[in-house]
Amino acid sequence: MNEMSKNENLDIQIYNFAYLDENTKRMIRRALLKALCIPGYQVPFSSREMPMPYGWGTGGIQVTSACLIPKDILKVIDQGADDTTNAVSIRKFFQKTANVAVTEKTSDASLIQTRHRIPETKLKEKQILVYQVPIPEPLRFLEPRETETRKMHALSEYGLMYVKLYEDIAKHGHIETAYAYPVKTNGNYVTDPSPIPKFDNPKMNNSPAIQLFGAGREQRIYAIPPYTNVKSLDFEDYPFEAMKANFKCSICGSSDSYLDEIIVSDDGKRSYICSDTDYCKEQTKLNSKKED
Amino acid sequence: MENYPFSENSINSSIAFRSLVNATSYPGTTFQINKLNKPSVLSNAAATILITLCDNESNVYLSKEYNIEEVRNWLIFNTGAIISNKKNADFVIGTWKSLLPLNEFKIGVPEYPERSATLIIEETKYKKVKCNIDGPGIKNKLNIDLPNPEFFIENNNLYPLGLDFYFTNDLEILSIPRSTKINIIKSEH
Repeated sequence: MNEMSKNENLDIQIYNFAYLDENTKRMIRRALLKALCIPGYQVPFSSREMPMPYGWGTGGIQVTSACLIPKDILKVIDQGADDTTNAVSIRKFFQKTANVAVTEKTSDASLIQTRHRIPETKLKEKQILVYQVPIPEPLRFLEPRETETRKMHALSEYGLMYVKLYEDIAKHGHIETAYAYPVKTNGNYVTDPSPIPKFDNPKMNNSPAIQLFGAGREQRIYAIPPYTNVKSLDFEDYPFEAMKANFKCSICGSSDSYLDEIIVSDDGKRSYICSDTDYCKEQTKLNSKKED
Repeated sequence: MENYPFSENSINSSIAFRSLVNATSYPGTTFQINKLNKPSVLSNAAATILITLCDNESNVYLSKEYNIEEVRNWLIFNTGAIISNKKNADFVIGTWKSLLPLNEFKIGVPEYPERSATLIIEETKYKKVKCNIDGPGIKNKLNIDLPNPEFFIENNNLYPLGLDFYFTNDLEILSIPRSTKINIIKSEH
């Protein structure tokens, strides 16, 4: 008997726990463990068709499905926000298929699936952060052939990437890449951090949490284990700099969190707010306590 | 349902896998595994790894202590895995001594380093050498006992190629992936 069929709260449709069948999970699980053993290396996997279009987190959702346990408390964010379409629909998906508890609080979550941000709140040991990845190959825009990029990783031949960064400096006076800024994992593989802003890159380094990456369309899984050296590529005379808009959040007043720019009036007046909605709420609460 | 390895397959396997994720993520630290229905010669931890990860695409090498009808039947019936030789094995199970030398197991190729064997070392009676380990997943250097550390040092030198190890003992599991650096602690005598 299927586990889910016992639960009356669930829809008429009966799913295996967390949607994917056991054979698919085994295949993903083997890929995930090898990925953890070889930090930053992209392990091919036979990605399944998921009930959502490519680009909406089909890779992340497969990794989450393979990792989820009934006791998990799941948080899903899209660009830092818990209440955007992608986050809401993925959260609902796992409530329906795995019946897991959900939260918006980073510190309460045991598994966080994310699109394009790392939460501002420091992650803890054994928390799992699952990234949705569109293009897992950091060299893809420089070299379209998979056979070549595979050889380049095998030989640690990353000169092309450095030339790209150098050309940025020659043209613009600084490295233009502001998101999906390439990193070197455990001193070996150049890795795509998924399209997070480069402001988030330092959070990947030596993190106590387990970082897993799933690219559904491109059929790749990779991982950064906890306490692993993750270095953003740079030059001695042009060191890496994590940056953000130089403003304060207009809701909570925070000046150290990553900000989204929003247009607030017809004449184009701009305002800045925290991209991490949970962090913003926490800061607002802290501020009101101080005022009391 | 009594004879199946897990009483509730998808739930038990998810919990088992999470222990494997934790063990692999934090090498050198012991994690707990739950009991399951398994052949008596296998530890719960070793049986859990096989049941959670193996299917009809997995080549499994059983060392002589484990290459018995009870284990073969259990493994093939529940997972469909293929009993294989050393050279093709994806998963290897045995005591330390019976698996030596390790150089026949596959270590992956530069383009596909993941095409390497995962070794499950059953038993704890090997001659222990005090070692200090460091690397991904290890916050502060850890002291652990390993059999013949020179094998693990050599294995780490192959990185990003190499073998990945799980040490299993009843309900406990500990991992030493290829990324772990090993230093032998010299005794003062």
